[in-house]
Amino acid sequence: MNTIFFLLRQTLTFSIPLLVVALGGMFSERSGVVNIALEGIMVFGAFTSILFINIVQDTMSGQLLLLLAILIAGLAGILISLLHAYASINMKANQVISGTAINLLTPAVAVYVARMIQNVQQINFNNTFRIPHVPVLGKIPGLGDVLFKDAYITTYLGIAILIVSAIVLYKTKFGLRLRACGEHPHAADSVGINVYKIRYAGVMLSGMLGGIGGLIFVIPTSTNFNATVAGYGFLALAVLIFGQWKPMRIFFASLFFGLMKTIAATYSSIPFLLNLGVPNTIFKMTPFVATLIVLAFTSKKSQAPKASGVPYDKSIH
Amino acid sequence: MKKLVVILLALALVLPLAACNKTPGPDTEDPGKDPEKETYELALITDIGTIDDKSFNQGAWEGLKKYAEEKKITHKYYKPAEKTTAAYLDAIDLAVEGGAKLIVCPGFLFEPAVYEAQDLYPEIKFILLDGDPNDGDWDKGFPTYKRQSNVYSVFYAEEQAGFLAGYAAVKDGYTKLGFMGGMAVPPVIRFGYGFVQGAEFAGKELGIEAIEVMYHYTGKFEATPEAQAMAAGWYEAGTEVIFACGGAVGNSVMAAAETAGKAVIGVDVDQSAESDTVITSSMKQLSVSVYDGIKAFYAGSFPGGKSIVLDAKVLGVGLPMASSKFETFTQADYDAIFQELVDGNIEILKDTKKVDDTDTPVKITDIPLELTTVTFVE
Repeated sequence: MNTIFFLLRQTLTFSIPLLVVALGGMFSERSGVVNIALEGIMVFGAFTSILFINIVQDTMSGQLLLLLAILIAGLAGILISLLHAYASINMKANQVISGTAINLLTPAVAVYVARMIQNVQQINFNNTFRIPHVPVLGKIPGLGDVLFKDAYITTYLGIAILIVSAIVLYKTKFGLRLRACGEHPHAADSVGINVYKIRYAGVMLSGMLGGIGGLIFVIPTSTNFNATVAGYGFLALAVLIFGQWKPMRIFFASLFFGLMKTIAATYSSIPFLLNLGVPNTIFKMTPFVATLIVLAFTSKKSQAPKASGVPYDKSIH
Repeated sequence: MKKLVVILLALALVLPLAACNKTPGPDTEDPGKDPEKETYELALITDIGTIDDKSFNQGAWEGLKKYAEEKKITHKYYKPAEKTTAAYLDAIDLAVEGGAKLIVCPGFLFEPAVYEAQDLYPEIKFILLDGDPNDGDWDKGFPTYKRQSNVYSVFYAEEQAGFLAGYAAVKDGYTKLGFMGGMAVPPVIRFGYGFVQGAEFAGKELGIEAIEVMYHYTGKFEATPEAQAMAAGWYEAGTEVIFACGGAVGNSVMAAAETAGKAVIGVDVDQSAESDTVITSSMKQLSVSVYDGIKAFYAGSFPGGKSIVLDAKVLGVGLPMASSKFETFTQADYDAIFQELVDGNIEILKDTKKVDDTDTPVKITDIPLELTTVTFVE
């Protein structure tokens, strides 16, 4: 039983960053801007906030520091995403190119600045953020073992972001406008919605969530930040597509990807799986094969926002 | 208005960079730099990984830097564009153009590059760590080796370093061990085999019934969530200490160990400062050997054309006992086993063995083990 709880806990460390970043991607794409820059935004968010932790960790620690770091990661993400927004909304540039530029730029900036400041590109941090056991809640059998042991507040934050995202997207005026701009910006414009503003908001939201995702990705998995998030930004894109641009589906897709990733990495500690004799490459392939299959079967009725990737130009119909 | 905001934001991004530029740290790569002619006598080409990998490249660079700073000699490191022999050769060309007289090439992967460079630049000296120049043609079984008089090839007895770590861990009361290597290159394999045999040796001495070793190569020298998850899984399943043998892989293992409250053994250099979970490090004296090689070069006695193995006899390997966190394994225990290695009383199986005069690879299953069970994870 403990093994299963461990598996699920470990799944969360993979899934929550994927969830948060993919939700970020969702806001951008539902507003009509393809955001392939998620990887770069994650790197930038993680870089800024871990650098912040590194600088102030002598005087602060624990949850307050983590919350401040999350704030900084979000702001850094917004800042870098504005580059993408400006290029793709104002300048009507190719959104894939602009996103790729950010992906190439941010790791280099992270290495450069880290070396300038401290001569070493790895930025160390002390992990004082893990909660070994949440009082009371940790005692709940089953659920407590999964959600409230060796936990990070970022897990709860991720779930909160999911709920808020779903409400914003479907139950608010802003959400309706956002979706309209992603489906038919001219129609939205004709009823007086400022498409540019809405798209800016979408991209900035994706920047904020991408930045936060970068931070919560790095904290449980290493003791320093080395200018990379190991391709998880791209994985989040896959989660976004697998989840068909819908919050709850994205949630399940991220859980599925996380579980598969966990099994691929930890199958050696699970006697049942080890004895199956299945090569671990099979486990590693599963999420991607599943993505391909799902795409193959759903491509005809794909839920991709219709205007996603198309720069909005008032004069062209 | 919008444009103004954009300009301000762009400036906000660029300004910190400019500010950083003005204040280079005390440790710049080229002190004593002559503004008139920018040449660097001593050069190092980094292997995959970075100059500050807290491990292999860094250890070698520290030795070079120490000598260069003592003697006020210009020095610089070059980073190949990618992990190919062609890129390594380009970096060597660059170093030679930059005025290098001696080039340090840390790593097994430099073998083919140095094989070509030694003839291209007969007047330049090379120190090749962890390797012996060859044409890299493994397809025909084993490549053609050739070592000119301008190449000094240095090997380390990693199997002894690993042996000491495995021995110390079991002597200190650990019986469930793990080995997580980076790429399965010969030095990493030697570390791993030595580790397993050291554990077995200590187990026999103590009369322990069974020792379990989880064994895996991640295939990269990087910190990845996969490595962290695997280490966490091992710890969860009972593993008490993991020998993290692959540069930044160690950071993933340490992150897992901090959560699980378990122990880590570091590699190459003393990694105790990296995390409180590091109980000891399986070290090879990279910086010392580079330093000595350069010193010999300037003394006119460069050991070119030679290939040596630095082992316990010359203090080429060891554990940093001063910073180790052992409970029952004492300095006296360490000195005793170290002396055994120096005296050559213990035979440790390496990654290859001589069969009919050819080096035949040794598989993990070829190691004779009685009480140790190795679970090899692909």
